Amino acid sequence: MCQDTPLAGSPERAARRLAEIRASRRSVLTAAASGLAFSSAVGAAAPAGAASARTKKRCYVLVTDGCRPDEITPTLTPNLHALRSGGMWWPRATSMPVMETIPNHVMMMTGVRPDRSGVPANSFYDRELGEIRDMDRPSDIRVKTIIERLGKRGFTTGTVLSKEYLVGIFGERATHRWEPELYIPVSGHAPDLLTYNALTSMVDEFDPHLVFVNLGDIDRVGHTDLTGTNLRLLRQAALLDTDLLVGRFIDSLKSSGAWDHSMVIVIADHSMDWSIPTNVITLQGAMDEDPLLGGNVVIADNGGADLVYWTGPSGKLDKAVKRIQQIAEATPGVLKAWDRRTPWLRLGPESGDVVVFCQAGWRFSDPDPITSNPIPGNHGHPATRSIPFFIGGGHPVVKTGKVFSAHARTVDVAPTVARFFGMPTPKKRYDGKPRI
Amino acid sequence: MTSTTPPTTPPTSSSSPSSLPRRTVLATGAAGAAAAGVLGSGVRPAQADPTGQPGQAGAAERAKAKHEVFQHGVASGDPLPRRVVIWTRVTPTPAATAGSGKGGPVTVTWQVAKDKRFRKVVSKGRFLTSAGRDHTVKLDAKGLKPDTEYFYRFRALGQKSPVGRLRTAPRKRAALDNLRFGVVSCANLEAGFFSSYRGLAARDDLHAVLHLGDYLYEYPTGGYGMGQGNVVVRPHDPPHEMVSLEDYRRRHANYKADPDLQALHARYSWILTWDDHEVTNDQWKSGAENHDESEGDYKVRRARAHRAYDEWMPVRMDGTAALGDGTRLYRRLRFGQLAEVSMLDLRTYRDEQAALPGVDPTVSDPSRSITGKKQMAWLKESLTRGDHAPQWKVIGNPVMIAPVTFGDLPNDLIDPINDVTGILPGDGAPYNVDQWDGYTADRREVLGHIRDHQVKDVLFITGDIHSGWACELPLDTSTQPLYGDSYGVEFVCSSVTSNNLKDITGVPQLTPIVETAILANNRHIKYLDFDNHGYSVLDITPARAQMDWYVIGARDDAATPIEWSTSYATQAGTGRITPVDAPLEA
Repeated sequence: MCQDTPLAGSPERAARRLAEIRASRRSVLTAAASGLAFSSAVGAAAPAGAASARTKKRCYVLVTDGCRPDEITPTLTPNLHALRSGGMWWPRATSMPVMETIPNHVMMMTGVRPDRSGVPANSFYDRELGEIRDMDRPSDIRVKTIIERLGKRGFTTGTVLSKEYLVGIFGERATHRWEPELYIPVSGHAPDLLTYNALTSMVDEFDPHLVFVNLGDIDRVGHTDLTGTNLRLLRQAALLDTDLLVGRFIDSLKSSGAWDHSMVIVIADHSMDWSIPTNVITLQGAMDEDPLLGGNVVIADNGGADLVYWTGPSGKLDKAVKRIQQIAEATPGVLKAWDRRTPWLRLGPESGDVVVFCQAGWRFSDPDPITSNPIPGNHGHPATRSIPFFIGGGHPVVKTGKVFSAHARTVDVAPTVARFFGMPTPKKRYDGKPRI
Repeated sequence: MTSTTPPTTPPTSSSSPSSLPRRTVLATGAAGAAAAGVLGSGVRPAQADPTGQPGQAGAAERAKAKHEVFQHGVASGDPLPRRVVIWTRVTPTPAATAGSGKGGPVTVTWQVAKDKRFRKVVSKGRFLTSAGRDHTVKLDAKGLKPDTEYFYRFRALGQKSPVGRLRTAPRKRAALDNLRFGVVSCANLEAGFFSSYRGLAARDDLHAVLHLGDYLYEYPTGGYGMGQGNVVVRPHDPPHEMVSLEDYRRRHANYKADPDLQALHARYSWILTWDDHEVTNDQWKSGAENHDESEGDYKVRRARAHRAYDEWMPVRMDGTAALGDGTRLYRRLRFGQLAEVSMLDLRTYRDEQAALPGVDPTVSDPSRSITGKKQMAWLKESLTRGDHAPQWKVIGNPVMIAPVTFGDLPNDLIDPINDVTGILPGDGAPYNVDQWDGYTADRREVLGHIRDHQVKDVLFITGDIHSGWACELPLDTSTQPLYGDSYGVEFVCSSVTSNNLKDITGVPQLTPIVETAILANNRHIKYLDFDNHGYSVLDITPARAQMDWYVIGARDDAATPIEWSTSYATQAGTGRITPVDAPLEA
């Protein structure tokens, strides 16, 4: 089952995780004037302006989850379009493999690829546990994030994340955190209006130097939009709404004067592709029927990508990888089956032994062809790699109306934020590049 | 143009100077027989020489006064960051005309300098040429700096060549604000003067010139003249169809003697590919429409054509400027992070055109190819070359890739349209089997590859069809108007001189009817001009790519005026086309 689907979350699971986070001795719960509750690091729940790092600079990373770059238009998303036109824009920007939510949010905040961060996908096979699970544990990230680096230097940070597994994996890293009390059943996320309220409330109450925001509506509606292959009616409604909220946030920065020293990065973690019910790929059955692979293969379904794990004897790994590739590439709808060790993929062992991508207009449903992944909207495959990536803001570092040919990537966010705040380059360098 | 069948009737007009428009004759008289291609003196319109042709005879006339060693100008091409191909031909004696095989070996020296007076020479050398290579000189000038303008010239037998100007490509990782190309195709010498070349040579804002093919034509004199009357504005040399190696060499010399062509070659580096007429009409990998057994083995003929092309054109074949080391013309040229130009060869490897378009399933047979297997893999690699590929994937595309389908087109118009474009066979079936429409499996493979990898900013720049087009590239034309999916954009330049619809029908009033019908039935086609000749200017920035179409007046007037016609642009990341109100500032 693709874990980046609206069926992934459950109220019980969210409540359990929230309780675990709040039970931590390192957090205190703060009720903001808005009525929303925030978790803050002990000693950090101070009013705005009390940060130890004295700078007016503010950075907001707004992730319009799942937004396609061609959806930023003057008519559909006028506020985003205006922000893009008035700032710095990278039309060639892309998500990185696997084009899923968790790994690309982690790349944004760590500045390194999955072979270093340890987070290659949403859903993976945990060999220690012997089960497929989400990468939603704080310990899944093996390196320091820009959130922690800033915190160490006295900057305050905030996370406003609409999705349960993002709240989970970023854990207590930020100084101030909004952890939604409840996620929408079925969709499994907090709606953008609530996320927006949390963002503005956090800025009003704590004014962190960096706020990392995930707006999940565009992605969640996109997943379930049955008109996605053609009209995208629901999707377009979500885009209109999210755009309005971004516009409101920008207006609030301008009216408060914060705009003049702010940098606003707008980016998506991946885009979106839609499939019809007949364009479904299931590899598990063919693997099970193979004399070599039968009983020795586990598949973690990531919507547009299958991560295939060899669980048989290590001495037969190379042979098994070739066989998995053969079977996968002979399956209609499969674009390519890569040996995970292929250097450019930069995926670590957590992503299995073979990474299989589907063609545009297809999706994986493993292990069951009917029930595992019934939704039309998916990502994870190369057809969902293009993303919006632009920087607005009134801070002088933001150039006006400048478009760049460079290939910007999700992994560039952390080094860009680091440069904005004058942070030194870490000993183990970023894989991304600063874009300012 | 690929599907034109040469008229079977003889030319209705002679090629004598007296048949030229009066103002052309006057212009010739005023300018005399001055050599062309001299930089810094402005760009003169082409002049007809006393024989009415710019070819061998003209050169011979001039040679009577003083033998000129450099009769065919200079040229440069295929710019890389540190080297550019430079070219010329020497005529060591009056008898050593192109294709003659006469004349001894000649050592030619060459220089590349930062200044036009050659006080700051940065690269120089010697080159030994001979009749074995038709006394052409072609080499890679190395040791240059990226994104820099240079001047170059040759010396031999006590004479200096005209001075040429070139510009190296930027470094691989350079961030560019813009890139600007002149775009041309389909220059038939007998159908008119090369005013389009004159127009481009007068500009000072280009990085290079893209030529999409049909640089010259194979027909005999009167085989494919101007318009309905088949007027021979300037005769071909040799007067018969080019078949032998000598023929091909002479025809190249014929064209290279044109002053407008010389001026544009001297002014900018060119990036060329061939279409069919560089060999013969509607060629495919083992034959051609315009080839029969009386003309010998087709592949032998093609080898001669390729040999002459390699000798006479400033291109790298198989990656080198050397002769005889291969004929692979498809290649990439990168311009920083902004763009990469992939020039296709859609003739040498293609399967034969389908015989019965529309009713013949051959057009969609996946075993047939317009690119050939290796070139298809190479093209797909051009589109998805990892994280460091440039932003704009510019495909130099000899024949149209956009699908063109028809609904209710008047039967009376089918023949004239087909004469120009080959789009419609007589039975009204909606395919031009010589274009990608005749190889739909290949087109699906390319556009599907773009879709599967969400490749953005793919720009097909096309010639061949003697008309201006701006098209979006859907996988499914039936749903595209509703859903708007487009996997790239195609801009098609018109012909320099080769006939278009108005020229064939002689009834300009018919054109709007045809254009309206095509646009109505092909909603992904945003612009179509069937009636004008000219050139285009393509400007690429990180934010958008814009094509300007310029049109010329009378083809038989060497000083004909040139006007801006229209402009269309595609914004980065969209694959869509929008009209633009004004041309680029030169």
